[in-house]
Amino acid sequence: MKAGWTISAVLHGAVLAWGLVTFVTKPLNATPPEFISTDIISDADFSQITQGIRSAPKAEAPKPLVEKIAEARPVEEQTAKVIDNKPEIVPTADQVQPPKPPEPKKAEAKPPAPQPQPKPEPKQAFAKEPAPKVDPIAEAIKKDTKKPEPKTQQKAETPPKKVEPAKPQPKFDATRIAALLDKRDPQRKAATGDTLSNTPSLGTAAGRAVTLSQNELDALRARLRECWNVPVGVAEARDLVVTVRIQFKQDGSLQTDPRLMNSGSHPAFQVAAESALRAVRTCAPYSFLPAAKYEAWKDVIVDFDPRDMFRG
Amino acid sequence: MNPTDVAQSVLPLTSADLSIWGLFWSAHIVVKAVMIGLLIASIWVWAIVIDKTLLYARTKRAMDRFEQTFWSGQSLEELYRTQSARPAHSMAALFVAAMREWKRSFEGASRAIGGLQMRIEKVMDVTIAREIERLERRLLVLATVGSAGPFIGLFGTVWGIMTSFQSIAASKNTSLAVVAPGIAEALFATAIGLVAAIPATIFYNKFVSEVNKQAQRLEGFADEFAAILSRQIDEAA
Repeated sequence: MKAGWTISAVLHGAVLAWGLVTFVTKPLNATPPEFISTDIISDADFSQITQGIRSAPKAEAPKPLVEKIAEARPVEEQTAKVIDNKPEIVPTADQVQPPKPPEPKKAEAKPPAPQPQPKPEPKQAFAKEPAPKVDPIAEAIKKDTKKPEPKTQQKAETPPKKVEPAKPQPKFDATRIAALLDKRDPQRKAATGDTLSNTPSLGTAAGRAVTLSQNELDALRARLRECWNVPVGVAEARDLVVTVRIQFKQDGSLQTDPRLMNSGSHPAFQVAAESALRAVRTCAPYSFLPAAKYEAWKDVIVDFDPRDMFRG
Repeated sequence: MNPTDVAQSVLPLTSADLSIWGLFWSAHIVVKAVMIGLLIASIWVWAIVIDKTLLYARTKRAMDRFEQTFWSGQSLEELYRTQSARPAHSMAALFVAAMREWKRSFEGASRAIGGLQMRIEKVMDVTIAREIERLERRLLVLATVGSAGPFIGLFGTVWGIMTSFQSIAASKNTSLAVVAPGIAEALFATAIGLVAAIPATIFYNKFVSEVNKQAQRLEGFADEFAAILSRQIDEAA
């Protein structure tokens, strides 16, 4: 027994010594866990959440997309290239015909000085050589010399009037149609606003509100709204609500025929009721309804209201 | 309590080292007692295991040797003389006891052959019981440690977890850093309990079957020897 004790004690000592050497000597450094803040939102809130970009910096309030600071003006299409706000649009006719507008401008600028000069010259030439002979010409020249003065005045006063008739109408030429084409890239005006922001902010820009995340009843209503062909007489009717009870199977098909739950004295009521029941039947497999929540939608009462289509 | 205070109070716990010595030293006094008790129990168990293993091997060898000489045709008288000279165990003890009773009945002044057969059997039964007692001694310690060890370790664990919950209450913080060292210490007690109990149970079962085997062998020899002596008695009568 003594030998047993000795051997056993020695073995235990050896195992303990081995354990002291090899057992984990690393201190336990547990880092404190990160806190995750959570918010509780209702179904309605969830249905109206607007989609944002996950990595976007958090802004205090959603800002519209703005590229230049000026008066607020939204952008229709965001894909086209941005240009400065200068309207560079040149009439396409200029490419075909040499620019005419400068000429009337010259006439406008010059009238006091140069125009009197050419008129005396012909006058002198004509007057010196065939003075007695050609009466009509001389008279004509006289008339000319007299006339130009009021004419130049007229020109100076109203140059645009002369420009307008002078402007040639662009003739349509099928062979030069290529020249008529606007070969610039599609452009758009820069969006302007109070502050510059190039990136869509968190949760706006193109938020897809209702279509993104509807709860089941929203989805059902949207589907019925698509299917309901509102009869002509019913669409204008006031106080005409058709209440329909729908019972579903688990796979989204109808368990029983939809039942009318109310009656009305309106002359168009019967028509409206028929159309509503037809809408429920034609849309029949409502397979988008989640089977897990079958209890929530297996028996539904929907109000078909022509004013805002309907409420459920 | 502001966060820095919490950090200060938590710091010694988080930096607790999880070496065997660290686990033992930072434990509560009750848990320490449990650990020491279980360590001693483990040492005891292994001492018994070593002792018994040697004993059974020795007994088995002795039985083999004795049977060999017994069936070698040697005379019983001669065998008795050689065997009774030294302290005998197991089969030899059985033989010596029976032969002593035989000799006493034959060589005494008055021959008492009538109840000799019964007396020899009684003597051999007593000797078998004594031998089995000798083989079985301290096996109960193994059984006890095997069944109670885990419970003792569990007691240490429960106590340690109680104290670690008190430290949670003190630091008002339930983070892993506060809870983990205390629970690691506490579980260490259960680990030691299992370390002591598992070999105890295994070796207890093994030794019990070994004892049964040797006891059966002794009984078989006793019956055979009784038959031989019975024939001798009948021939002598």
